[in-house]
Amino acid sequence: MGRMSVVRLSRKNDAAAWVYLAPALVLFALFTFWPFLRALQLSFFLVDRNSFEPAKWFGLGYYARIFNLGETALGDDWVRSIVTTFQFTLMVVPLTLVGALALALLAATKIKGIGVYRTIFTSSLAISLASAAVIWSLIYSPDLKFFDHALTDKHSALWAVAAMTVWTNLGFAFIVLLAGIQAIPKDLWESAKIDGAGPRRTLWRITLPLLSPTLLFLLITSTIGSFQAFTQFKVLIDSVGPDQSTNVLVYALFTAFWTENNYGFAAALSVVLFALLLVLSLVQYRLDGRVHYQ
Amino acid sequence: MKKALLYGALTATAFAVLFPLLFSLSLALQGETVSPHLWPDPTKLDFGVFAQVFRKEPLLGRWMLNSWVVSVAVTAGQLLVSILAAYPLALFQFRGKSVVFFLFLASFMVPWESTILPNYLTIAHWGWKDSYQALIVPFLATGFGIFLLRQAFLIVPAELREAADMEGCGRSRFLWSILVPLTKPALATLGIWAFLNTWNQYYWPLLVVDNPVWRTTQVGITAFRSNEIASYNLPMAATIVVLLPTVLVLFAGQKQLVEGLTAGAVKG
Repeated sequence: MGRMSVVRLSRKNDAAAWVYLAPALVLFALFTFWPFLRALQLSFFLVDRNSFEPAKWFGLGYYARIFNLGETALGDDWVRSIVTTFQFTLMVVPLTLVGALALALLAATKIKGIGVYRTIFTSSLAISLASAAVIWSLIYSPDLKFFDHALTDKHSALWAVAAMTVWTNLGFAFIVLLAGIQAIPKDLWESAKIDGAGPRRTLWRITLPLLSPTLLFLLITSTIGSFQAFTQFKVLIDSVGPDQSTNVLVYALFTAFWTENNYGFAAALSVVLFALLLVLSLVQYRLDGRVHYQ
Repeated sequence: MKKALLYGALTATAFAVLFPLLFSLSLALQGETVSPHLWPDPTKLDFGVFAQVFRKEPLLGRWMLNSWVVSVAVTAGQLLVSILAAYPLALFQFRGKSVVFFLFLASFMVPWESTILPNYLTIAHWGWKDSYQALIVPFLATGFGIFLLRQAFLIVPAELREAADMEGCGRSRFLWSILVPLTKPALATLGIWAFLNTWNQYYWPLLVVDNPVWRTTQVGITAFRSNEIASYNLPMAATIVVLLPTVLVLFAGQKQLVEGLTAGAVKG
């Protein structure tokens, strides 16, 4: 009986399935797949600035420029943009994870009034990048003389944007890690205590290994977020930065597209961004198999 | 003694985390001054600034309305599209299922920033610049939402499906009167996530809006800041005003959001 009904269901379902799937498929086709293929196509052409149509075959010209192969016009250094994006990610991701982990370990203790502290530690989750950037632009404002050269010095500008980004990321990372710590069975800690393990040993032997899926999840989300960072650079810097030191990939894309109307080059940068994130995803997918899931 | 140390550490970190917010509040309340102090004079707090900001920027109210309309519409649309797409993906057998699965997974892999140029050209070509549809329609389908709901739908026991099937419960009735009510937590998670993300969007609204009337709050406050470069209190007050809705959504749905998002990551 059960088997018969499944068979009956599966035959009838063919057409129905596509009806349910249609809205999502149409939307993805229009706003994800077609635009992506279009960007791929445009990246090989000189593009007409008025009609936005490919005008002349340009081969791998834009890609050669992005990777500084062949002649570079006007001393452009586009590889630097990719390097800057990696640097920014390497600043933001570890600081976010370590900072949020410290907050979560601190807030995991059960004492009176801990709820207030937890809410405070979560608060930045409610603050958009644009709002946070406006607030931090005043912290860095020269008039206030706290960190007055932070954004104009080529050595500190990227760090200054990273610090703001870490602060904005903290709330989300904190609350996810706190949930992860609370999911660890209590008896594990108790038996460690009975065995005479100190707090440091407990952290390295029990807490961190059991948190590794959570940490990996945060590693993925914050890495992808850092690679796509744009808002904070637009609001805080609004240029390539002192000595081009904050010209991250998505900002370079914005400049090529919006300021210079160089659509073919912007399309090539889009494809490079896609490829970099794809490689990152694959690496992280491989890592996923190695973490503890207990 | 140990407890006092713990409270000390908690309070110090809480203060550090809150500092940018306290600082913005401090600047907002200091009145119009070219050289504000770190902390305001508590006897001269200027709360009138929050009313003043709406007078100084008459469009601020409109920007907030725009953000609400767009965020609510995208949230509702993402829920609907994801429910519909996740249903056959979780419970039907049909030819081409693996292709669809692959396509949705692939949509995950394409970052929005990589498609922004052709998408902008499409929207401009359709004459959609300066409109709600430009801010809403491109975001209605999300691979994240579809996979989140598919996962939730899979957990519904097979016996329930068979029982419903035998009682002649139609396909669409099964979805709306059994599956959807049973998976409310996942739907709430997706809803909160969609709302926060849409409310916080910046890049796309910056591109497709020329007329200030159609700005969302995020683009609005950054433009406002550039215009009011001489004073600090007004931009800070505007920033605090536009923070409130997300703060409320977050505190209302914080627990739900975390449980939903980390169900996979934490439990493994």
